[in-house]
Amino acid sequence: MSESSQTHEAAGRGRVSGKRGLVTDVRREVDGGREETAKTQREVGVAETRRGVATGAAVRRWLAPGAAVVLLIAGWQAFTTLSGTDAWLLPSPADALAAGREDRAALLTNTAATAKLALAGLGAAVVIGLALAVVLHLVPLLGSALYPLLVVSQNIPTVALAPLLVVWLGFGMLPKVVVIVLVCFFPLTVATLDGLRRSDPVIADYLLMSGASRGQLFRKLELPAALPPMFSGLKIAATYSVVGAIIAEWMGADQGLGKYMIVAKSAFRADKIFVAIAVTVVLSLTVLGVVLLLERVMVKGRGRA
Amino acid sequence: MPENALEVAGLRKSFGSLDVLDGIDLTVGDGEFVSVVGPSGSGKSTLFHLVGGLLQPDAGSIRIAGQDAVGKRGRIGYMPQQPALLPWRTVEDNVVLARELAGTPRRKSRAVARDWLDRAGLGGFAQAYPDALSGGMRQRVAFLRALLSDNPLLCLDEPFSALDAMLRADMHRWLLGIWEENRRSVLFVTHNIEEALLLSSTVYVFTRRPARVLERVEVPFARPRSDEAVDDPEFVRLRRHITDLLKTEPLKGPLAQ
Ligand SMILES: Nc1ncnc2c1ncn2[C@@H]1O[C@H](COP(=O)(O)OP(=O)(O)O)[C@@H](O)[C@H]1O
Ligand SMILES: [Mg+2]
Repeated sequence: MSESSQTHEAAGRGRVSGKRGLVTDVRREVDGGREETAKTQREVGVAETRRGVATGAAVRRWLAPGAAVVLLIAGWQAFTTLSGTDAWLLPSPADALAAGREDRAALLTNTAATAKLALAGLGAAVVIGLALAVVLHLVPLLGSALYPLLVVSQNIPTVALAPLLVVWLGFGMLPKVVVIVLVCFFPLTVATLDGLRRSDPVIADYLLMSGASRGQLFRKLELPAALPPMFSGLKIAATYSVVGAIIAEWMGADQGLGKYMIVAKSAFRADKIFVAIAVTVVLSLTVLGVVLLLERVMVKGRGRA
Repeated sequence: MPENALEVAGLRKSFGSLDVLDGIDLTVGDGEFVSVVGPSGSGKSTLFHLVGGLLQPDAGSIRIAGQDAVGKRGRIGYMPQQPALLPWRTVEDNVVLARELAGTPRRKSRAVARDWLDRAGLGGFAQAYPDALSGGMRQRVAFLRALLSDNPLLCLDEPFSALDAMLRADMHRWLLGIWEENRRSVLFVTHNIEEALLLSSTVYVFTRRPARVLERVEVPFARPRSDEAVDDPEFVRLRRHITDLLKTEPLKGPLAQ
């Protein structure tokens, strides 16, 4: 089992063969191996090559992109060094690293502020986005009335709304959280609503004939069925939340990575802007990582134990 | 004399212009194993959806244990044509689902679930998820889920149609063994004539759509039955008879799917 979950981590391909191996083990045990004996022999071969496939997949998944990043940074360093481009125009990675080291106290407090804002916004977006999906699902009339509006609303550029929000709500935390919610809720709501609507009708019939109430149908089928699509939406929302926080800080903030970037820009410190961008990426990936972890814990069955 | 487990009379159902059931009369006595055989698309699953209260009939009555059951859900232990297990629940938690819907907390059904899983040869898989099971094992889990419902009447919709012949024979032995022990009332739908004769005491043969009862066949073999019953001359005769019934039935309307 641990082997098959490792393979699962390694790659989709590895997972399929790992899973099939498990199914065969199960059959062998219970049906006395009579079912699909021929296949079982093939599976042995598959099991032998499985490790090799998994290694190949791991190389493709981690090593290849890692090498690409390293090459990119090395190329950038070589270009700035050899061309002698001014550091205020395009700093080298080494310049940026030095700037980051020098400014690490300020970076830390600003990152903490942005992280706090992003998480507050994401949290609000999750609550509002999920509640909206559930209401639109449970009240079909409301769903058909509001769904098209929701889709159209996504064509409103959130950034353009920012000045209005400042007029209405001031410069505090609230307008910034609202911006993040506006950016984040949509993928979450749409994915969750889709998942709720697409639960298996055969299972629904079974539950209803077995006496399930509407509430039981929702809790025992629709909600758990919507979890994987919900997490797809949440991954997008998580990524947007950090970018949303930076944009919100550009509206006017006394701290945060967005504010830090604006100050660096006014001082023509491109090296500091690069550092801030790198930190933003790391922050985004961290939030995404937490979501992935949560997904692992919450999504059960369906190929993962 | 206890009430009949199920009495269906004059049951009609159409979907728009598609007539599916054209006046079905059918009875399952208390503790009786009754099968319905009919061509696919004749409306057998629709009959279950009506008995299970999922659909409203256009005419006719349905009584379960003497009580009107038209449009009433939660009165049967049901095994659908596909296993329809919840993929995010362990085998054990799937098996207790029907009881859970009826209000029995999950933990109170765990012991009995474990016991039945052991007896079904699934003891080692109580904590496994359905996607780790073979087709036959999933069918057994879906069957146990129906069996563990507190309703006396079991409705099984082509439970073994997806299995190969050998696995199917295993399942017949297994099902007969369980049935001999507790003699639940069973309505069993199949399009496999031999399966119907082997398992039941009464077989209803349905026509093509729109379905009527073509014939009600009593199956005289003593219980407990073994699968050697299929070689009995009387068994062979009955099988021939039903096969001929279904074969010579004149085509009417569009061909059944
Ligand atoms: N809910 C429904 N709406 C419309 N047509 C249906 C519905 N359920 C079943 N049918 C149709 O009724 C006919 C009988 O179906 P079914 O009861 O599933 O047959 P069987 O189980 O005997 O194979 C089929 O032609 C099917 O397409
Ligand atoms: Mg059917």
